[in-house]
Amino acid sequence: MNGESMRVVVVGAGLAGLTAAADLVAAGADVTVLEADDRVGGRVRGVDIADGVVADGGAAYLGIRHTELLALMREQGLNVVSTGMTGDSTFLLSDRRTTTASRVPPLDAVALGDLFDRLEELVAEIRPDKPWLSPRAEELDRLTAARWLADEIDNPDAKTFFPLFIGEMMAADPAAISVLHMAFYLRSGGGIRYLNAFEGGAQQWRIDGGAHLLCRSLADQLGDRVRLGQSVCAIDQTSAEVEVQCAPGADGTRPRYRADRVIVALPPALAQRITFRPGLRSPRATASTGPGCAVKVHLGYPAPIWREQGLSGWSVSSHGPLLSTVDDSPSDESAGVLTGFVTGSEASTFSALSDREQQDAVLAHVGRLFPQLPPPDRCTVTDWLTAKYSRGCYAALFGPGDWLRLGPTLTTPHGRVHWAGTETSIDFFGLMEGAIRSGHRVAAELVHRTGPGDAAAGVLVSSHASGADLNHSSVE
Amino acid sequence: MSAGHIIQIFRRVLGPVEVAPHSDFFELGGDSLLATRVLSAIARDFGTELSWDDFIENPSPDGLFAKVTAAVR
Repeated sequence: MNGESMRVVVVGAGLAGLTAAADLVAAGADVTVLEADDRVGGRVRGVDIADGVVADGGAAYLGIRHTELLALMREQGLNVVSTGMTGDSTFLLSDRRTTTASRVPPLDAVALGDLFDRLEELVAEIRPDKPWLSPRAEELDRLTAARWLADEIDNPDAKTFFPLFIGEMMAADPAAISVLHMAFYLRSGGGIRYLNAFEGGAQQWRIDGGAHLLCRSLADQLGDRVRLGQSVCAIDQTSAEVEVQCAPGADGTRPRYRADRVIVALPPALAQRITFRPGLRSPRATASTGPGCAVKVHLGYPAPIWREQGLSGWSVSSHGPLLSTVDDSPSDESAGVLTGFVTGSEASTFSALSDREQQDAVLAHVGRLFPQLPPPDRCTVTDWLTAKYSRGCYAALFGPGDWLRLGPTLTTPHGRVHWAGTETSIDFFGLMEGAIRSGHRVAAELVHRTGPGDAAAGVLVSSHASGADLNHSSVE
Repeated sequence: MSAGHIIQIFRRVLGPVEVAPHSDFFELGGDSLLATRVLSAIARDFGTELSWDDFIENPSPDGLFAKVTAAVR
C-alpha cells in the first residue's frame, strides 16, 4: 500500500511533524503542515550570537545511538561537530570554586556512587517498551522524585547533587516528576551512563551550523506545503473526513483544512488545548503534566578563551542561575560560545525576572565561575517556559499518576487523528531522536494502516455514529 | 578479598570487557560517573572509603587494592 491521494494535515512543524510530512510526501500523499509560530523547528531553534554565529537555543546534542537523526542528517547533507570537553571542569559549590579533571563535582564520591547505584536499580526495574506495566509501576508512578530522595538518601552531598543531575538530564525539578518518569527517561535515553556522557554518550556531537538547519532543510523540501501562523484550535471529524480549524487570521477569517487523516505533532500540553469533536477518550496531558523547565543562556566571547587556560568550559554550580555551562563554540573557533543551562526550579525563578535582572544575575554568576575571563560580549536568553508554541523544553514532564493514565494510549489514534512528537516515542523520549522516530512511526501508521490505528473507527461508533459510520469503518 | 574482587567490580560497572590487574579504568571506557560507582562498591565490599584523588592516582584493580590495603593498615 502507499499514501497516494490521501490528504493529510500535520499539526506542528517541529522535527516530528516535519519528518512525518517528508515521509508522507515521499509515499505520494497530499500533505499540508500547519505551524502556529512564524518559524519552523519548534523546540529546535537557532539563536544569533554574533555575526554569522548561530547557537542552538533548544535541542542541540546527539550521539552515535541516535541513528535516525544521523541518517536524516546524512540525507540533508549535514555534519556533526564534536562537543568540546577537553580541559578541566569548574565547580562552584556553596560559593567555593574549584577546578578538577573530573566531570563529577568534588563531593563525597562514595555517596555519589551509592546514589548512582540506587538510580541504576530503579532504571533496571523499568519495562522499556511499556513502562506503565513495570512491576512496581503504580508505586513508582505515585511517588515524586523529591519524595524518593527524602525517603531513601541520607548523605548531604548526594542530596546536593541529585537535583543538579535531574535538572541537567531532564530539565526537571524533582518535585514535579514521578519516580517512574525519572527512571523511564533515563532508560529511554540509553541508560544513565550514555545519557550523561559527552564523549561516547548522548552529548558527543552537535549539528554543524546548528540543529535548526535540519528543520529548515526539511521545510524547504516541503515548500509551500508548510503554512506558518496557523494556530489550530479545533479538530472535527466525521466518518468520512476531518476538518481542522485555525484561530482567526489577521483578516478575521478562520482558515479551515479538510483531510482524510490528521497528525498532531505537538507537545502534550498543547495537543490537550485543541478542541476535539468528538472529544478525546483519553487525555494527552493532565494537571500533573508539567513543562520541561529550561532556559538556555548563550554567552558570546571573541574566541573560546577558557581553552587557553586549560578549562573545558564545563561547569556545575550548586546555585543558580547557571547550574551548568558547556563550550558550544563553532567548529572554526570564529567565536567563543558558552551555553548556560538554567533548569528545574531555578528556571522558573529566572524566567520571572526582568530582562535586566536576568542579565545582571548571569554576569555576576559567570564572574564568579570564571574570574580570570573578561565578561562576555553578548548574553542571549532563550526562555522555553514562556515560549507560547512550545511551553517548555526539553520535553513534557510526567508528574505523579501520568504514566499510568497517559502511557497506554500515547500512540493510540483518535479516529482519524494520529499522534507524533518526542513524547510519543518510547525510545529516546524527549530527544531529537525520539521526535524523528515518532515521525517515521506515525507516517508508517498512515501509509500501511498497521499497528494501533486499526481500531480507529471505534471513536466515532461510540460517540455519535450512525449506521453509515459503521458501514464506512468496516470497509476502511 | 583481593585485587581479583576489584576486577569483578570493574566488570560489573563497565559491562563485558577484559579487565587485567593493571588495566586502567579510563582506558577501558570508564568515566568519572562510573568511577564513583566503583568507589561505592569498594566501600560496601571492603569497608574502606577511598576518595576521588585515591582513584585517579592509579585507577587499576592493583592500584586500588593497594590503596585499600594501605587504608586498612
